[in-house]
Amino acid sequence: MSKQPLRLPNGGLVDRARTLSFRFDGKSYDGHAGDTLASALLANGVGLMGRSFKYHRPRGLLSAGPEEPNALVELRAGARREPNTRATMVELFQNLEATSQNRWPSLRFDVLSVNGLAGPALVAGFYYKTFMWPAAFWEKLYEPLIRRAAGLGRAAEFEDPDHYEKAFAFCDVLVIGAGPAGLSAALTAGRSGARVIICDEDFQLGGRLLAERREIDGRAAADWLATTLAELASLSEVRIMPRTSVYGLYDHGIYGAVERVSDHVAVPPPHQPRQRGWRIYAKRAVLAAGALERPIVFAGNDLPGVMLAGAVRAYVNRFAVLPGRKAVIFTSGDSGWATVRDLAEVGAHVAAVVDSRSEIKPEFKSLASRVGARVFAGSVVEATRGGRALRGITVRDASGKRTALACDILAVSNGWNPTLHLTSHQNGKPVWDEEIQAFVPGVLPPGLSVAGSAAGRFTLAEALQDGARLGREAASEAGFAMAAAQPAPTTDAEASELKPIWRVKGRKGKAFVDLQNDVTDKDVELAAREGFRSVEHLKRYTTLGMATDQGKTSNLSGLALMAEQTGKAICDTGTTTFRPPYTPVAIGALAGHHRGKDFRPVRLTPTHDWSREQGAVFLETGQWLRAQYYPKFTDKDWLSTVNREVLATRGGVGICDVSTLGKIDLQGTDAAEFLERVYINAWKTLPIGKARYGLMLREDGFVMDDGTTSRLGENHFLMTTTTINATKVMQHLEFCHQVLWPHLDVRMVSVSEQWAQVAVAGPRSREVLRGIVDAKHDISNEAFPYLAAREISVGGGIPARLFRISFSGELAYELAVPADYGQAMMRALMAAGQAFGITPYGLDAMSVMRIEKGHVIGSELNGQTTVRDLGLAKMMSSKKDFIGRLMAKREALVQSDRPTLVGFKPIDKGKSLSGGAHFVGIRRANKLENDEGYVTSVAYSPNLQHWIGLGFLKNGPARIGERIRAVDLVRNSEVEVEICSPVFFDHEGTRLHG
Amino acid sequence: MDKQETSIWRPRRPWAGFAEAGQIGESREPGITAVTLEGLGFATLIAGTSSEKLERATKRLLGLDLPREPCAALSDTHGLVWSGPDQWLLLARKRTGFSDLLVSLSVDAAVSEQSHGRSALRLSGKRVRDVLAKGSMVDVHQAAFPVGTAALTSFAHIGVQFWRTQDGPDGAAFEILIARSMAGSFWSWLAASAAEFGFCVTIDQA
Amino acid sequence: MRIACPHCGLRDLQEFTYLGDASPSRPDGLAATESAMFDYVYLRENPRGLLEELWFHNAGCRAWLAVCRDTLTHTIQSVVPANKRKKGAAA
Repeated sequence: MSKQPLRLPNGGLVDRARTLSFRFDGKSYDGHAGDTLASALLANGVGLMGRSFKYHRPRGLLSAGPEEPNALVELRAGARREPNTRATMVELFQNLEATSQNRWPSLRFDVLSVNGLAGPALVAGFYYKTFMWPAAFWEKLYEPLIRRAAGLGRAAEFEDPDHYEKAFAFCDVLVIGAGPAGLSAALTAGRSGARVIICDEDFQLGGRLLAERREIDGRAAADWLATTLAELASLSEVRIMPRTSVYGLYDHGIYGAVERVSDHVAVPPPHQPRQRGWRIYAKRAVLAAGALERPIVFAGNDLPGVMLAGAVRAYVNRFAVLPGRKAVIFTSGDSGWATVRDLAEVGAHVAAVVDSRSEIKPEFKSLASRVGARVFAGSVVEATRGGRALRGITVRDASGKRTALACDILAVSNGWNPTLHLTSHQNGKPVWDEEIQAFVPGVLPPGLSVAGSAAGRFTLAEALQDGARLGREAASEAGFAMAAAQPAPTTDAEASELKPIWRVKGRKGKAFVDLQNDVTDKDVELAAREGFRSVEHLKRYTTLGMATDQGKTSNLSGLALMAEQTGKAICDTGTTTFRPPYTPVAIGALAGHHRGKDFRPVRLTPTHDWSREQGAVFLETGQWLRAQYYPKFTDKDWLSTVNREVLATRGGVGICDVSTLGKIDLQGTDAAEFLERVYINAWKTLPIGKARYGLMLREDGFVMDDGTTSRLGENHFLMTTTTINATKVMQHLEFCHQVLWPHLDVRMVSVSEQWAQVAVAGPRSREVLRGIVDAKHDISNEAFPYLAAREISVGGGIPARLFRISFSGELAYELAVPADYGQAMMRALMAAGQAFGITPYGLDAMSVMRIEKGHVIGSELNGQTTVRDLGLAKMMSSKKDFIGRLMAKREALVQSDRPTLVGFKPIDKGKSLSGGAHFVGIRRANKLENDEGYVTSVAYSPNLQHWIGLGFLKNGPARIGERIRAVDLVRNSEVEVEICSPVFFDHEGTRLHG
Repeated sequence: MDKQETSIWRPRRPWAGFAEAGQIGESREPGITAVTLEGLGFATLIAGTSSEKLERATKRLLGLDLPREPCAALSDTHGLVWSGPDQWLLLARKRTGFSDLLVSLSVDAAVSEQSHGRSALRLSGKRVRDVLAKGSMVDVHQAAFPVGTAALTSFAHIGVQFWRTQDGPDGAAFEILIARSMAGSFWSWLAASAAEFGFCVTIDQA
Repeated sequence: MRIACPHCGLRDLQEFTYLGDASPSRPDGLAATESAMFDYVYLRENPRGLLEELWFHNAGCRAWLAVCRDTLTHTIQSVVPANKRKKGAAA
């Protein structure tokens, strides 16, 4: 057998000088540069490309474009395996590897094709009906079975090794589709100087011009195409984007597109992404996406060899492939006759033309006689014959007389549907056009116009005229004045009359409406009988129009059949609206750079590298990576590390990076007044050089955040927020200032990034600080008492801020230096503290110490707790208004049985506790109505040598000493505990003031 | 105040550990060049009810007008970049004398120093716009973003402030500021985006 | 969506944070009744059509903006800084 037996000796747009070898189902073939996988397979005589979804019927190519429902393959292998790839859209490359789908053990012999014989069991709604009972069987038996039998390709089982990108583009005019209409639009707009982007999903620009034998201005259309492309390429503000699908239209001129940068090579070249997801901001756009040809529903219309007539022309004219040796054309309109001419032109035998219309135009009659084709007027194709490929058909004429014809290709034409999907992405409803018997764009989204076939104006002349006119309008609306319009190019004559038929009622055999989902005319009838008559119900009941092709070749047939069943007109039956994406988009193209370690930005503190050198284990807290603990080789396990850090701090001195706390600089003559309004406590009384703990509420009365705020000057404060809420609090303050009280003179900016801040905690902390604070600053207990906050200097003149505040309950400070010195500060402290056994501690040790002291953090400030719940009600000032004041007083929020903060410890000191447990009374059932509160924080206290916890318990403070159970039904634990004060350690706070 | 370069108190620059001098990606003639800007002085200036006094002060001290729209007013030594209503970023190419300047300006504005809180880069090269297009939701085309234009936006989910400076020998040049803590993530995005064009990295030794 | 920030120009939705109806105005907390404050905190109109809303330009100039938007079509009629807006203009 010769290589590429069905490749025509000349013609077409493939590069015969460049032969590419590829593999399909393990077998090697050759094709040419310029081929698609589909055209290359066809050239090699491979017509069988897949098995159908439900019945496992043999399937071949229906189309040559994005609408392909049948020829879906798994492309590439291993980690790059890509299921459900349309062979018609795959650009052939050297060593391409593809596998057919949905067949076992092989494409030619598929065990499950017996599904076709068991057909009646698999009619519409069969999932709902058959597998309902017993319910327990669904998960274990039915679903795995169905999943193996029905379905599409397999996703890759490994992480995608390729890189993806996002990108943003701006233009005056976006042109979607580079066929005759789109190219005319881009050219006209481009000549005005406007910034133009023209996208086409194909790798070759030209649209239908590539597939048709047409003339423009008296010359081959290819000449016009070449001239136009050359001029577009010469315009500096025109960007031409082949291999780019515009898949969605969004508000205010935003378009989503995916550029297949490296899909046409086996592996992306170095530093190139596989795909690039574009967001295009366009002032105006012209949709010139063309049209999709419609099939006809008849028995056996799914056999490999039954193909759309326009697709046959594409294979012949563009790819120089003869899809069959003996052809029959089945058409309901003039456009099918072009296939007769083009097939004859390349020497194929056209056996017959079956035209459902009784009147045949004289020029078609003479064409038929010229090529020796029999003409069946007023006739239909009733059935097909063949196993894995078409062998013949049965024609039925108006009188009912049947004629059997042999053929290996049946080209079907039933008119065209405008590719109007994007016009409908913002709820635009397509409207029915009686003349062309198709839906056309209805009310258009702002800024979008539609040219040529996409608008239902199917002739080449109309495409060229529309393109030139709308390109001009778009540029002018975008602000680019234009010279006088030039007349659009002229074209050869084109007949485009049509009288579509939607289905041929046959005697037997399955007639498919939706080839991808194996939905037949019988399924639509059944849906109608069972009351699923609305288009939306029809879709969901039969699966018509679902999956990867979204019904591009089936929606209208389905609608027409339903109209027939219900005796309504098509336009009264409903329309299909489309949502993005127009064609499938890989998740990678949407994620772009943002996956794995780049999933979202990570924030690192100025001391991060130092912590890493110390062997820290890091924890994600919000966007930040923070040191969780610093294991040493001598530590037995995590707990012994944390215990060591806690004991070293309480026994001597420890340091912990707290740079992640939000820091907000507040200045202005009303800064103190502003703080009074956002915090629950008093601020005007705070002396300069002092810090104070503050709590702020949401307006609904629940606690929002806490932190210390220091007064650096009469009109200058520094607020700190929790790490997690830093952004939220800043936004809240800006709301309060700009929206609520714009007349207050307060000016705020985040200075979180400027400072590296460290907690120096423990009885020896002052001595350590003395080693690095410049001698002129007195930090003795008298000169620098608890809650002092001042600007100082360290290391011989480096500006710094020192705060005597404590989260650990120890004598402690927070020291801030400009971030460049953060790492140096840690080294300096370690050196100064060496004699005192200074120990870096992480978040876990910090958490142990704050639980020992009953200090609250995010676990307690969880958005459901009030100041009263936290036991801090007396902090609320009664002398002023502040955010949340009134709502915090609501009856339900002040009831005594609200869960209120308590401490608790296990009765059996050997037991551990678990966060998230609920409090249930002794000998009460573990039921919701017995729930008395919940556990928010637990830790092992190395000082007390048992576990301790904080939680919220109904009427908690009154129940100190009571025993209750902490029940964790998720982790199956239950511990009897004693309720106690939330302060476990140093109740009097003497260490703090040491 | 950068004089204490004793053994322990050595400053660590914000790009340290991320940006290294050399070429990333394609090894041909670089399409984009980054220069890390080290040791600059930055501060936020916020005017009160009226910014006229501040304007007089900047004019007197720096010879620069306060930009009233998203623009950067730049001299050889200093710059004022619009940063929001009544708010500006003051930049100094050197930190010498910067704290004295801030003290002088604090009479007429709320001044908050940010010198250590920002990581700064200068990006230029024939393909600089193609790289920015992979992150910028702001149009940086010549027509939309002429020399002197400034913007606050985000690239790859990281907040940025950037402006276009005088063109260099290889076309448009931009200066970009990001939060110091995000330098690593920003660099990861930039390096990945610039690699296909050949990405030359220079570390400013200032 | 895109919002024309009066300071920064036309910007992508991703740069903004939504709050909601701009019309409620906060009563004086010392003088107000609990029910007036309750209305302010919780009660919102949810019209089909034009609505004045508060948006925060968090990735840009950090201004709170009053955006007059059609909730049905997303057409934006006007955008002004919230602190420059005439009180009650939306009502």
